[in-house]
Amino acid sequence: MPPFPFTAIVGQDEMKLCLLLNVIDPRIGGVMVMGHRGTGKSTTVRALADVLPEIKRVVGDVYNRSVEEVREIRDKRLEIGTTKSPISNLQSPNLKSEKIAVPVVDLPLGATEDRVCGTIDIEAALTKGEKRFAPGLLAQANRGFLYIDEVNLLDDHLVDVLLDVAASGWNVVEREGISVRHPARFVLVGSGNPEEGELRPQLLDRFGLHARITTITDVGERVEIVKRRRAYDDNPAAFSEKWEPQQVLLRKRIAQAQKIVSDVNMPDDVLMRVAELCMKLGIDGHRGELTVTRAACAYAAFHHKKEVSDDDVKAVAFASLRHRLRRDPLETTGSDEKIARVLRG
Amino acid sequence: MNWSDIVGLDSAKQALLLLAVDPRLGGVVMAATVGSGKSTLARAFAALLPDGTPFIELPLNITEDRLIGGLNLEATLATGTRVIEKGLLAQAHGGAIYVDALNLLDDAVITQMMDAMSRGEVRVEREGVSATHTAQFMLVGTYDSSDGDVRGGLLDRVGLIVPFVSNGDAQARAEVVRRNGFTALTPGPSPGGEGSGDDESEMLRGMIGFAREQLLQVEISDAQLEGIAQAALSLGVQGNRVDVLAARAAIANAALSGRDAVDDEDLQIAAKLVLMPRATRMPESEQESNQKEQERETRGQGEREEEHDESQKNQQEQPQIEELMLSAVEAALPGDVMNLPFTSRRGKSGSRGVQLNNRRGKFVRAVQGELRGHKLALLPTLMAAAPWQRIRRDEGRGMRDEGRTLIPHPSSLILRPSDVRVKKFRDKAGTLFIFVVDASGSMALNRMRQAKGAVAKLLQNAYVHRDQVALVAFRGQAAQVLLPPSQSVDRAKRELDVLPTGGGTPLASALMLAWDTAQQARRKQIPNATLVLMTDGRGNIGLEVGREEGLKVRRFEGSSEKTNANLQTSKQQIEKELQGLSALIAADGIRSVVIDTQVNYLSRGEAPKLAQWLDGRYVYLPNAKAEQIAEVIGD
Repeated sequence: MPPFPFTAIVGQDEMKLCLLLNVIDPRIGGVMVMGHRGTGKSTTVRALADVLPEIKRVVGDVYNRSVEEVREIRDKRLEIGTTKSPISNLQSPNLKSEKIAVPVVDLPLGATEDRVCGTIDIEAALTKGEKRFAPGLLAQANRGFLYIDEVNLLDDHLVDVLLDVAASGWNVVEREGISVRHPARFVLVGSGNPEEGELRPQLLDRFGLHARITTITDVGERVEIVKRRRAYDDNPAAFSEKWEPQQVLLRKRIAQAQKIVSDVNMPDDVLMRVAELCMKLGIDGHRGELTVTRAACAYAAFHHKKEVSDDDVKAVAFASLRHRLRRDPLETTGSDEKIARVLRG
Repeated sequence: MNWSDIVGLDSAKQALLLLAVDPRLGGVVMAATVGSGKSTLARAFAALLPDGTPFIELPLNITEDRLIGGLNLEATLATGTRVIEKGLLAQAHGGAIYVDALNLLDDAVITQMMDAMSRGEVRVEREGVSATHTAQFMLVGTYDSSDGDVRGGLLDRVGLIVPFVSNGDAQARAEVVRRNGFTALTPGPSPGGEGSGDDESEMLRGMIGFAREQLLQVEISDAQLEGIAQAALSLGVQGNRVDVLAARAAIANAALSGRDAVDDEDLQIAAKLVLMPRATRMPESEQESNQKEQERETRGQGEREEEHDESQKNQQEQPQIEELMLSAVEAALPGDVMNLPFTSRRGKSGSRGVQLNNRRGKFVRAVQGELRGHKLALLPTLMAAAPWQRIRRDEGRGMRDEGRTLIPHPSSLILRPSDVRVKKFRDKAGTLFIFVVDASGSMALNRMRQAKGAVAKLLQNAYVHRDQVALVAFRGQAAQVLLPPSQSVDRAKRELDVLPTGGGTPLASALMLAWDTAQQARRKQIPNATLVLMTDGRGNIGLEVGREEGLKVRRFEGSSEKTNANLQTSKQQIEKELQGLSALIAADGIRSVVIDTQVNYLSRGEAPKLAQWLDGRYVYLPNAKAEQIAEVIGD
């Protein structure tokens, strides 16, 4: 059954934008979507896979590495671990590549650490007495997206593992008899409802963007949601086909933006104002400025522009900064209000 | 037991029928007190489903392994290939899962269930196993609201909710007893003629089958969809998924009634079963304002009567539909609005529900760890060690060559520390801090502010300790749970934004409610509770008054604070009541701290006395800051 098309999702523009910006520039550092139940959080993230561009990897590589990456590892003799793993074509001189869709790994809440990081191949061990590494979800997610729905319900311990790997880009498995190190660069996407359980403040900081979503109150939009849902339920294939032209357009637009994003120029005066904004909001460190800058560049690229303007900054400021303000849980002024006030000057 | 033998329970029956027609409604959750016949009904529901439809009863002590599946070690070893067993969720694919006492299900299990329902499949990624099983199932569950609420995230995926027992009248109850008892006592064919009930079940099955095929043909107009959305907005329902669910329910009802278009009755049923249980505000006041709006609109329309296009007709029609749905909601409300378990985030009245046996199995999960201070989980330890045996034996052989002595016998099991799995009692070992705040009198505003600050402080640290915080405020005639046990700063922020003040001081009813809250938490495996009383200890409203007046007060919140002199219990009696209640709470192992924050020249020692009765601490903190309070409590 085809997933609900990304372009057919009504409203929730901020969440959609945050996801797309991360597709255009994965260095933005992921997105955390928090909001009411039943507002299409998981539907939207799960719909993303279908509009993602393709990437090239070494044929059959479980880590989705590119030919260049494998060559580099081989040439520089970077340690990749000693345990046998399913990929042994590192040795072959002629590496072939294939195109695959950008992987989106949807982490189930019941996942255990061994399956996330990878562990001994149980089947091989039990039946052949062979010690072999079975790569986990982190391997699958390399160069793609890792999605955790209801992230606030995931085991703390697992969250820590994920954040560590996301920060370093490498997954290191060292336990009895297993020694493997493999690249695991991925965009972390989390979603959740704050009422289901509190998020650790440290957790939120680690995400590049923070999208907030609320119940859509426009009756017209709501009617449209129900109608599209019903059409999809009745015949998913036909519905997807109907939306395919829009999907194609979006895919093209994303690919275009990806191509130009590294050339987007951030004028010094705009950069100054970004720094000023962060300073006025009392945001510690440089992560805030960096995220705003990257997100604004991606935003400009998405709108076919080669230079960032103040408007581009404004468009991404809330999602980039609202979770970096100092927290005072019972304060009545929300972080959005504060940002808006400073932006107005 | 046949479907038709079950008397009463009309809403529940109706909900189950709709679910049978359109399983995409997700499920039915029903409130049930002991003996209301809901579980019988749920089981009878199984008979309405097409032959071969799975119907799985989930025991409360289900483990995660059984629920989502995993490696069948025995079969794997025997066959030499990996054998993966489906869990119960996957086994229920295409059918239904039934849970009695849904709100007593372990959090971890509910989380898994939510995950599966949102995906339509179970993804197993655990203990070296990776598999995906389709799992589209209906969830049928009952709960007893005196045991606490059902998790919101789960309810969100269950379309139909029957929030209270509707067969109130004695006649129907008697009929239940007569019929049910009769069947049980009479062996062989029932006197009503062989299978008279079966006939009805058979007929219903036919109707359901037919309705299922009709679902796609049923039409629902834009104006009706707008009405649904508007009604959901007026009732303050969170999220947009409800619209989809309400539309499905209306369509299912139309299909079941053999109609090819949704009509008013269908919408009303959708309002009753989908929207009303999720309402966060009552329709009355909203409706008035809507009527005004409608009047305004009609007036406006009169001026430009000529342009009477389609969309305008919709606009005119839609408020009527909304009104229709809201009135259905209103009609469905029982006299005691506050019994609505989902609506009122304000907690429930002080009635102490029948204490159920603690049927919750000790839900444990095995984790890697050291034995010290933990219990060994034998089976998981063996499972963890199993894959390594051949490898280790081979390594052992190598060791023999080096002349080591630790050579395992070929058939013995080689265990290493890394295999050890210990039992972990799932989460929530933290403490529940129940703030009991005196919201009466002139200093109430101050006290509430202090309490709010302390709640915030505690919640900031709560994540680390897994503590939870609840807040009971008391004033006027009765106490009220302003914040049910929660870890959510967001929720605390929202719920505590109201500042109730003034009126009498129903301290006893507050203690009662706090005790209730502690007991509910205990059933949800938060074993420790600490009461934090912020009061001067001077109660002047007795329990009886609180109980009788409670409903009125809560229904007409803030409208009248009139104290009925006749119901005023004497001071001595109140004191006796407090003393008795305090002793019971202390005997129940609940810790207490009484915090006196007033600069009080007239103190007659009530607060210290209260602390003494509660076998708790008394702290005098005039003009305390939130940090100070949090610190005292944290000790």
